[in-house]
Amino acid sequence: MANFNIDSTKNNTFDAIVIGSGISGGWAAKEFTEKGLKTLVLERGKSVEHIKDYPTTNLQPWELKHKGQAINDLRIKNPIAAKCYNYKEDSEHFFTKDDEQPYIQENRFDWIRSYQTGGKSLLWARQTQRMGDLDFQGPARDGFAVDWPIRYKDLAPWYSHVEKFAGISGEYDGLDVLPDGEFLKSLGLNCTEEHFKEVVAKKYGGSRHVIYARCAHITENKDIFTQQGRMLCQQRDLCRRGCPFGGYFSSNASTIPWAQKTGNLTLKNDAVVHSVIYDDTQEKATGVLVIDAITKETTEYFAPVIFVNGSAFNSNMILLNSKSKRFPNGLGNDNGLLGKYIAFHNYKVSISAEFDGNLDKTTEGRRPTSAYVPRFRNVHKQETDFLRGYAAGFSASRKIIQNKNGVGEELKENLLNPTYGNWRVGSHMMGETIPKEKSQLSLDATKTDKYGIPQLRINLDYDENDLKMVDDYVEQFTEMFEAAGFTNIKSNDNNRAPGNDIHEMGGVRMGKDPKTSLLDKWNRLHTCKNVYVTDGACMTSTATQNPSLTYMALTARAVDHAIKASKKG
Amino acid sequence: MKRRKVLKNIGLFTSGMLLFPSCDFSDEKVSILLNKLYIDAKQEFLVEAIVGTLLPEGEIPGGLSLKVQNFVWVMIDDCSTKETQESFLNGLAKFDMKVLELSKKYFVNLKENDRANMLKNLIKSRQANSDIQNFLNTTKRIAISGYMNSEYIMTQQMPYKLVPGAGSYVPCKTINPTEKINING
Repeated sequence: MANFNIDSTKNNTFDAIVIGSGISGGWAAKEFTEKGLKTLVLERGKSVEHIKDYPTTNLQPWELKHKGQAINDLRIKNPIAAKCYNYKEDSEHFFTKDDEQPYIQENRFDWIRSYQTGGKSLLWARQTQRMGDLDFQGPARDGFAVDWPIRYKDLAPWYSHVEKFAGISGEYDGLDVLPDGEFLKSLGLNCTEEHFKEVVAKKYGGSRHVIYARCAHITENKDIFTQQGRMLCQQRDLCRRGCPFGGYFSSNASTIPWAQKTGNLTLKNDAVVHSVIYDDTQEKATGVLVIDAITKETTEYFAPVIFVNGSAFNSNMILLNSKSKRFPNGLGNDNGLLGKYIAFHNYKVSISAEFDGNLDKTTEGRRPTSAYVPRFRNVHKQETDFLRGYAAGFSASRKIIQNKNGVGEELKENLLNPTYGNWRVGSHMMGETIPKEKSQLSLDATKTDKYGIPQLRINLDYDENDLKMVDDYVEQFTEMFEAAGFTNIKSNDNNRAPGNDIHEMGGVRMGKDPKTSLLDKWNRLHTCKNVYVTDGACMTSTATQNPSLTYMALTARAVDHAIKASKKG
Repeated sequence: MKRRKVLKNIGLFTSGMLLFPSCDFSDEKVSILLNKLYIDAKQEFLVEAIVGTLLPEGEIPGGLSLKVQNFVWVMIDDCSTKETQESFLNGLAKFDMKVLELSKKYFVNLKENDRANMLKNLIKSRQANSDIQNFLNTTKRIAISGYMNSEYIMTQQMPYKLVPGAGSYVPCKTINPTEKINING
């Protein structure tokens, strides 16, 4: 028996453990395995292999039984998941069903989850804007949260590192508010977007910008993509199904198969992490306790370094649930701040209008991105009665009017002979929200999920700053739209609950001081230095940029640090 | 007797129910399987007649040859709320009675031209109550969606490309007024 135990410990010991196979976990796996470390990736969801497990990817529209609409019974059973814009007949199998993991909403919070190999990297909107110093300096300048322990120069080479591998389509805009990156060619703005860009540039003297939204799509052939088995984006605009060409970046198409090729990756699916194991005598984390989602058996895995990439709130949960004599309130939680200062992106409102110019022009085909308006409020100094600001998406398309009048041959004739209408333009806001102590996650004292893991309590809501920002966005965009000659301007408070943005962040924030933060500048727990957190949980502030690219860069940087630290030993 | 029961009795299926495309009750004509709704041949035949009138056969195939009538039932069955389903079936029954009241004939027994006029009138008429209007508008809306998203329309009339290819997006195209607009292009 003794030998058996030694063997099983040996078999369950790796050089590194990564919890989660999503966009950041995939990067940790790639970086570790490439450097020769035997790496275990624990994924709580099912296996999704690139191409093989994209069941709807090659279906023609008419082959979908409901022509794309999700089934009502599934919507009723999954009111949270079904609220996601991407939840459709051809993608619902990539959404975690609500009853898999119940949680307690102290305020309404739509927690969108996607448990499978690759996680939400299969479903993301693929927007990849870098954060810059105007973002990293935000908390210190404006006196909220804590100062980020890093600046743009610390992350810039790592942004480049991940962008070159992922493939980012973009334009070199040369803006102070949004640093440029390593770009493949742009798919272009259409003429009405160009018109808006020119009007805005002129009206605001170059202080507001409309640019091509950088996105993780391959638009130029490069050896590095061929090596990954990925090809040019075919402009199907069916990304949510999983892309058989690997045209957009996902863990499934890119980092996971790359890690597998090294021979150093062990990927375990259906592996629900219960907690990180802390050894009081060795004074460090030694491994991870895992529950098999199917058999409910528990197994311990061991490694000298552990990366927590379970997605922002799950990473919080795992640490809160990792209790030891040394850390009775959760791993690394000496200051009681674990789970606190969470935040999100404010997508509460959108705005639409029409444009009756460019009537001799239209677009053809499908483009997997749009235009983007970087933050223009409070950029260099405080100018408004709210803190920070918002970025915005913007897009224009030529409206096609389908006449549905009539009965019989007249109706058929009408349907098959549509006409052009005005251009339709639209924008949605992406507001920075302020992390506050009362915005927090905790574990419920009594309620558990089907694995016996305490349920998460989420306490997060819009605040006054958010609502002021919503008003300002509507006011400013109305002004910008009017200047561009857009008419029929309508703002739409879509009543989206926090969480529906799928940009929840924080709870295990980075900072300089162990008294006021959980992670150091290398994303290590201050008080348990062989545990790293590099997903959304680490974010000190949210900025306005879609955050995935930043998680990828932070992860690659942290792995590099972990490997160097282990060599120094 | 409801056909569901008949089918159960002959022991062919344990769940769902089979739909026949018309009054023909032969086993060969089985078309679709519904999950929730209990409907009879009369209801099915009526929807079929309405779809056939909305989108008749002609030079370009109509709704029936593209099986749009089945799509209407599938969408009501799978993608509608319970309230919508009830209102739909209720409206269908009231429509049938209203047509009988107005023309002394059942809709299915009207001539093609009279069917079309009846639909045109009832879709906007005050004589039709809201259940009937909802039923007709819902049927028309789903029928149009099923028709426009059919393989025939999406390959022969307004071709859809599943894989448009790299470089296919044209951000700024000057419209050729003589070119037919392809909503899937």
